[in-house]
Amino acid sequence: MAQTQSAVQVTHIAQTHRLKRPQWRHILPYLLIAPTLILVGLFTIYPTIRTLEQSLYEPGASTRDERGRRVQEPDTFVGFQNYADLFITQDPPHPIVGSFLQVLGNTIVFAVVTVGVTLPLSFGLALLMNRAVRGRALWRFSLFYPVLLPLIGGASMWAFLYGNTGGLINIVLRSLGIPTQDWLNTPDLVLWSVIVVNIWKQAGFYMIFYLAGLQAIPKDIYEAAALDGASYFQQLFSITVPLLRRTTLFLLVIASTYAFQTVEQLDVLNRGMPANRSNMLLWYIYQIYPSAQARGYVNAISMVLVVILLTFTFINFAFFERKDDDGQ
Amino acid sequence: MQKLFSRLGLLVVVIGMLCIAPFTQAQENVQIDFYWASAVEGNLPAIFQGYADQFMAENPGITINLVYSGSYTQTRETILAEGTDPIVDVAIMLATDLSTFISDSTIIPLSFLIEGMEDGDAYITDFFPAFLANGTDADGMIWSIPFQRSTPILFYNADLLAEAGLEVPTNNEDLIAVAQALTTPDRYGLLLPVAGTFPIWIYQSFAAAYGKPVVDNDLTNVYFNTPETLAAVEFMTRVGLPVEEGGFGVGPKGGSAWGETPSAFVSGQAAMIYHTTGSLTSILNDVTNSENPFEVGVAFLPSGPANEDGNGYGAPTGGGNLYIFDNESTPKTEAEIDAAWRWVQFLSSPEVQSDWGAQTGYIASRYSAWDIDPLLSLVAEYPQYGVARDQLEFAVKEFDAYRSVDIQNIINLQLSKILSGELSLDQAAEALAEGQAQIDQLLEPFKQG
Amino acid sequence: MVNKRNGWSIIADILTMIVSLLWVAPLFFAVLISVRPSSDPLSVGNIFFGRSITLENYQQALELAPWAWHYLTSVLVVLGVLVVQIITITMAGYAFARMKFFGRNILLFVLLIQLMIPSGVLVVQNLTTMRQLDLFDTRWALMIPYWASAFGVLLMRQTFREIPPELEEAARIDGANLGQILRFVYIPLSIPTYIAFSLVSISARWNEFLWAAMVTRTAEVRPVTTGLSQLFSATEAGTNYGQLMAGTLLVVAPLVVLFIFFQRRFIESFASSGLK
Repeated sequence: MAQTQSAVQVTHIAQTHRLKRPQWRHILPYLLIAPTLILVGLFTIYPTIRTLEQSLYEPGASTRDERGRRVQEPDTFVGFQNYADLFITQDPPHPIVGSFLQVLGNTIVFAVVTVGVTLPLSFGLALLMNRAVRGRALWRFSLFYPVLLPLIGGASMWAFLYGNTGGLINIVLRSLGIPTQDWLNTPDLVLWSVIVVNIWKQAGFYMIFYLAGLQAIPKDIYEAAALDGASYFQQLFSITVPLLRRTTLFLLVIASTYAFQTVEQLDVLNRGMPANRSNMLLWYIYQIYPSAQARGYVNAISMVLVVILLTFTFINFAFFERKDDDGQ
Repeated sequence: MQKLFSRLGLLVVVIGMLCIAPFTQAQENVQIDFYWASAVEGNLPAIFQGYADQFMAENPGITINLVYSGSYTQTRETILAEGTDPIVDVAIMLATDLSTFISDSTIIPLSFLIEGMEDGDAYITDFFPAFLANGTDADGMIWSIPFQRSTPILFYNADLLAEAGLEVPTNNEDLIAVAQALTTPDRYGLLLPVAGTFPIWIYQSFAAAYGKPVVDNDLTNVYFNTPETLAAVEFMTRVGLPVEEGGFGVGPKGGSAWGETPSAFVSGQAAMIYHTTGSLTSILNDVTNSENPFEVGVAFLPSGPANEDGNGYGAPTGGGNLYIFDNESTPKTEAEIDAAWRWVQFLSSPEVQSDWGAQTGYIASRYSAWDIDPLLSLVAEYPQYGVARDQLEFAVKEFDAYRSVDIQNIINLQLSKILSGELSLDQAAEALAEGQAQIDQLLEPFKQG
Repeated sequence: MVNKRNGWSIIADILTMIVSLLWVAPLFFAVLISVRPSSDPLSVGNIFFGRSITLENYQQALELAPWAWHYLTSVLVVLGVLVVQIITITMAGYAFARMKFFGRNILLFVLLIQLMIPSGVLVVQNLTTMRQLDLFDTRWALMIPYWASAFGVLLMRQTFREIPPELEEAARIDGANLGQILRFVYIPLSIPTYIAFSLVSISARWNEFLWAAMVTRTAEVRPVTTGLSQLFSATEAGTNYGQLMAGTLLVVAPLVVLFIFFQRRFIESFASSGLK
C-alpha cells in the first residue's frame, strides 16, 4: 500500500518536473543549513544532551584514602528527583535549591518588566532617531554605546552611581537635601535598580533593529497615505507597526531570551542580595555551580530554563506566524 | 559585491595563517603551569614575572608558565572544568577551597613532600599556625601552603578619637560607645562591610568574639545556631538599625558594600570600619594623598561581651594558598612533582614572602619573613602592619567544611535576610535554626562515614 | 516620514535630547572618574573634576597586560567569527525563510536552543571537546563555537521573508542560480540588517570573557577581556573604579570608532538599497 503510494508520487513528480531537479531541491536546503547544524550540534546540542542526561543523576561523592589518593563514587540515577526538589517546597527549605521558586519569580518579574519597557521604548527611540535631526549620529551614539560595553563594564558604571556612601545619585540627593536610598541593598529596591541598568544597556540594541526595519519600509507607502490625509499617528499605527510585526516578533524572542540569560551585571550589583531579592536563575546557577555534588541541580535548572524559553518562543511563533507561515 | 567576496576570502586566509597555534614543543625541560588568581591591586603580572625569572635562573631545566586565571571564583571554575587531567600544575586559590579541592580536584597532599625535606619541620613550623589551619585536614594532613593571606582588622580615624578624647575600643560595648560619640548626620560611627553575598567573613569575627567560632578542625562541624552566634548576628544587625528600632544608630541598614567601605573611611564619611588587612596599603596611600589627611589607626577587632577585653579577640583568616595538582591518567613523574614543590617552596620562602607582603599588603605567612627587609623596614615606618600580624595570635580558622560551597550559600542567605531587614530581629533565631537544619541535612552523610 | 517643523517635531527634538543626555550620563561620569586619583572619592572636592586630574589610572591599566597581543587576538577573532557567520547565517537564513523541507520547524527550534541554554553549563563539555580536537589554547578555539549563530539565522530568516518573493521569481526566470539570487537580490536588500548584525556580533565577541578565559592560557592568544578582567576581579580592597573605567574605555574605544564608521554606512545603505 505504502509502496504503491510512493510509486505513484514519484511518477507524478517525474511527470511534472525534470527528474534531476526535484532531488537537488530536496537536498539543497539541508546543504544550506548543514554548516550551522553541524556546529550547533557539536557545541550546543551534544553538551545539552549531556546536561539533560546528567540532570537525572545525583553526582557521586568523592573521598580520599589515607595516602591522599582520590576515590570517586559513581553517580546514582535518580529520575526526576532533581526536578521535584526544585518545584516542591519543603520544611526546612531544600539546602541547595530551596530558593529556586523565589529566584524563578524574580527572573520572571525581571523579564516581563525589562522586555515590556525596553521594546516599546526602543521602538519609540528608533522613531525619534529615524528623523532628520541635527547631530543624529551623536544622538544615536549616545543611545547605542551601552551595547558596545561589556555588560560588566556598563554595570560597573551603574554600581558607581548607585553606591550608598560614595555613589553619585546619593551625593546629588544629599546635596539637595532629599533622603538618600541604599539602591542596591534595600530588599524592595534592588531588583528595580538592576532592571534600570538592563533597560539602559539593551534599548539601543533593539533600537538598531527597529531602525533597520524602519529603513526597509518603502517611503512611497507613507506618501500615498499622506495624500489620503492620514495623520502621523494614523500612519504609525496602520503602516509602521504592522509592517514591523516580524521585527517585533524577532525582538520579543531575543529580548525575553536575553532577559532570562543576563547575569554578569549582578556580579557588581550586589550579587543577588540582599536576601536573594535580586537573584536570578543564571546567577543562582553560578552560585551552586562550584559544588560538584550539586551539579545535578545546575543541569536541571538549565533544562527548566530551556523548556520555559522554547515554550515561550513556540507560542510567539504560533501566534505571530500562523497567518503567513503557509504557502511559502 | 564580487570584490567584497574576494576580499572576505583573502581575510579568511590571513586569519587562518595568523591563528596557527604557538607550538609547545616536547622539551626535556619541566614546565610548570602556574595559575594565579588576583585579589589585590598593583602590577601583579610584573611582580610574578620577577619571581619566575629569579626562580628559573636558580633552577635551570624548570620553566614557569605564568597564567593569569582571573578572580578566585573564575580560577576555581577553570580548574574544576579541567577535570581529573588538569593542565594546571600549581595554583594560588582560596585557602577555604580545601574541602572542595580534596573531593573534586586532583590536588596532592604535601605532608609527604614536607617529610622528605631535610629541614621539613623547621620549614612548616615557621608558618603562622592560624594560616596553616585552613591548609590542614582533620587528620593533620597538609594540603596547601599559605601564600597571600589576610585577616579583618579595625581601622579607626585616630584624629577623630583624639579630638573627642576617646580610647580605642577593645570590646563591643566600647566599640558602640565610641561609634555613637562619633556619629554625626554626615558621618557613620562604624561601617561593617556585610552588604552583599559575603557577610560570612565579618560574621565569623563576631562569632569568635562571642566565643563560638563557626567551624573547628573537623570538616563535619558547623555551628550556625548557637546562643553565641545569635548574639553575634543581633549585634551586627543593631549596628545598622536606628535607635528607635532597637539599634545602635551608628551605621547604614544592612551594612555597607565591601568595595565602598574603604573610600567612605578615607573621605571621612565613616569614623571606624571593619575591613581586611589587604586594604591597608591602599587606605594608607589614599589617606595621605586625600583632601583631609588624618592618622589611620589600626587595632585588633574588639572582643565580644563587655569587660572581657582580650578574652574574646578573634578574627578569621582569609586569602589564598598554594596547591599542587596531579594528572590522574598520566600521573606526574617525580621530577615534575619535585619541580612544582620547589616552586611552591620558593614562593613561600621568607625572602619572597617578605617582598610580596611589602608590595601588596598581604600578611607575610612566615615568622621569619618579618625579620628581613623589605618588610622589616616597612613595619618600622608603618607599625599598622605589625598590628595585623599580632592579631594572628587570636585568629581562628576561616570557614571550611564538607559541602563548603553549599553551606556558605545557606549562611550568607540567612545572614543577609536578617541584616537587610527582610526578617525582623525577632525572627533571627528562627532563621539561624532553619539554616542549621539545612546544614545538618548536608553534613549528615559525612558524619556517618 | 514627516519632516515639517511643526510642534510635534519640536517636542520630538526635545525628547531626543533628554533621553540621549540621560543615556550618556553614566559614560560622562565614567570618563571623569577615570581621570580622578583614587584618593579622591566622588564625595570629595568638585563633583565633576575633584581636586586634580591624572592619567595614572590609564597608565596603570596599560601596564597590567600585554595589550598589543590581546588587541591582535581580539581583532582576529572578531573578524574570523564575523566573516564565517555572515556566510552561515545567509545560507541557513535563506533556507529557513524561503525553502520548504521536511523538519524545517523542528530544526529551527533545535537551532534556537543555542540561544536558550546557559552557555556557562556548556563550558566544561566544550573545553573537553576542544582538548580532544587539539585546539585548546589557540585562537581557533575562540572562534569555531561561534561560527554558527542561531541569533543570526533567526534574524536573516526574518529579514529575507520581508523581501517580496516576486523579485526572486523574476531573477529565476532570468536564469539566475541560487548563489546569484542571494548575491543580487537578498544580500543587497538586507544590508542594514547585515550591518546591525555585524555590530552586535562584533561587540559580543569583543566583550566575550568566560569562554575565552576558559579555553586559552597563553597571553598571546588571549583577547582584550582577559586583560580587562584583572581590573574587574573584585579585590580585597574593593574595586578601583578609576582604573576599571580607564580600562573599560580603552577596551571599548575601537568599537566606538567602528560604530561611528558603521553608522554612516547604515544611513548610506538605506539611501542606496533602492527598495521601492
